[in-house]
Amino acid sequence: MTTKIIPALAGAALLLAPGLALAQGAPPPAWAQGRSPEMANSTLAPHAGRLTVTPPDQLPTAQLRVPEGFQVELWAHGLPGARVMVRGPNGTIFVGTRGIGRVYAVREEGGERRVSTFMQGLQQPSGLAIREGALYISAINRMLRVDNVEQNLSNPQPVDLTAAFNLPEAPHHGWTHIAFGPDGRLYLPRGVPCNICDTDGERYALIASFNPDGTDRRIEARGVRNSVGFDFHSRTGQLWFSNHGRDWAGNDNPSDTLHVNLRRGEHHGFPWCASGWQDPAVSGRLCSEFPPPALILGPHVAPIGTHFYTGTAFPERYRNALFIANRGSWNRERLAGYEVVVVREEEGGRLVQEPFLTGFRDDKNQRFRGRPAGVMTMPDGSLLVSDEQNGAIFRITYRR
Amino acid sequence: MRALTYLAAALLAAATPAWAGDATRGAALAEARNCAACHGANGISAVPLMPSLAGQQAEFLLVQIIMFREGLRPVPAMMEPARGLTDAEIEDLAAFYAALPSGPAATDPRNEALAARGAELSAARNCATCHRPDYSGQAQVPRINHQREDFLVHTLAEYRDNLRVGMDTQMNGVMHGMTNADIRAIAHYLAHR
Repeated sequence: MTTKIIPALAGAALLLAPGLALAQGAPPPAWAQGRSPEMANSTLAPHAGRLTVTPPDQLPTAQLRVPEGFQVELWAHGLPGARVMVRGPNGTIFVGTRGIGRVYAVREEGGERRVSTFMQGLQQPSGLAIREGALYISAINRMLRVDNVEQNLSNPQPVDLTAAFNLPEAPHHGWTHIAFGPDGRLYLPRGVPCNICDTDGERYALIASFNPDGTDRRIEARGVRNSVGFDFHSRTGQLWFSNHGRDWAGNDNPSDTLHVNLRRGEHHGFPWCASGWQDPAVSGRLCSEFPPPALILGPHVAPIGTHFYTGTAFPERYRNALFIANRGSWNRERLAGYEVVVVREEEGGRLVQEPFLTGFRDDKNQRFRGRPAGVMTMPDGSLLVSDEQNGAIFRITYRR
Repeated sequence: MRALTYLAAALLAAATPAWAGDATRGAALAEARNCAACHGANGISAVPLMPSLAGQQAEFLLVQIIMFREGLRPVPAMMEPARGLTDAEIEDLAAFYAALPSGPAATDPRNEALAARGAELSAARNCATCHRPDYSGQAQVPRINHQREDFLVHTLAEYRDNLRVGMDTQMNGVMHGMTNADIRAIAHYLAHR
């Protein structure tokens, strides 16, 4: 690994310059690298997740809000850490997690919806994808494939593709989203193992694609600090991805972003440029050298699920709209995010975002009631949204 | 002032537990599972390399016991005690140990030079940001004062060597590249506060 820490200040450069880093002991924790002087004494720290079952009466179901004509209901609960969701051809919903190391299966049996722990003991199994009846599971550097998964729910025998994919072992920002593209290849981002650093750009800060067996690795996008959500435009097939800006640069800078990858290997700016903001911690290249993001999402909102609505049950204006679940901020004094937004293309191609599912964030008391993470269209055109904090899944429907 | 208000609000948001275990039920469960044999009758361990649990952050305890149960933190001595615990039982156990008074600081002689080196290392790595200025911890971030020095040495080395991960990967990043001497200094400093 050829990671160098980028100092926030010229003064700190002496402490952290390559070669001196070891003499000084460890680098600061990944999230503290690049801390600005005004944030030196900040007490902001990542929020604790919840790994136990949240009883339904403690869920924020009644506080959730959707636009007029839509309804939101509790669809499943008792899945601590629920994050990404994918659907098998026979209707089983698989749900990935991070800290609790589980993959859940949700299925309908005799008119009843049942949640079970399908696999466990994995290190941050946050990436799930389905292809030809097989479930692919990405867990940091591990890649597993369970063939005929819905016929093997009680006794999965995964094929280990870890060696073939040869992913970096660094756990930090190594939790990932995966999905098959319209070209049949498996897309897999890999974030930077730090807050801000000059990394090996062939291994980190990128989105790669592979043949389903892990061969023929190709870099699709570069300069991507940490993308944990992406999808392919329903009409153009283009890769649209959200990206997390770095921490400790202030309450309002940089913003998290949405990007469209217009050509293979395109560089999107990390570590020099984020959301059109020239990072003062890094010199060498200018924002003007990189394509601007398609949309500024907001500071520290933490976009996770990034999903084109593929159903027809929602009104016309939501067809092919992009839903983004913003899991919500920690490195900001006022809470931001904690909602699902919808991004639509207006006439002339201008992108606009508007709140869609709200109520997780309690502005008055500066608390959060839940953290939306995954978004998925169901065959009936309803939309599922997972809540990682509460281990629950909500369903949104439209009725005129 | 405005910034201060925001800060206080953010702390509140981070510190509000989303659950509440029952310490009385937790005490009964700790008795039944014989936790005291290693962790001490009042949650203050007298056994080498066994951590004190008294006054530990409830959310930290909760996460660790779940990780034992799920096989994500493979400590042989904890496999059997954690087997089959329900979420509610784990919440109760966490509430019980969190409610016990922590401490005291280590009573063996304090090596001033070693403690000073430990204090310096702690300041350089911003340990107090998450663990709080008095090292009593917050939420999923553990209390690291009032802890056995040998256990702190053991744990910090485990994080450094990637033998242990937390609910996230922060501590592995913090400990990356630290020497054994650094670890001894930090542990001595923390144990003697």
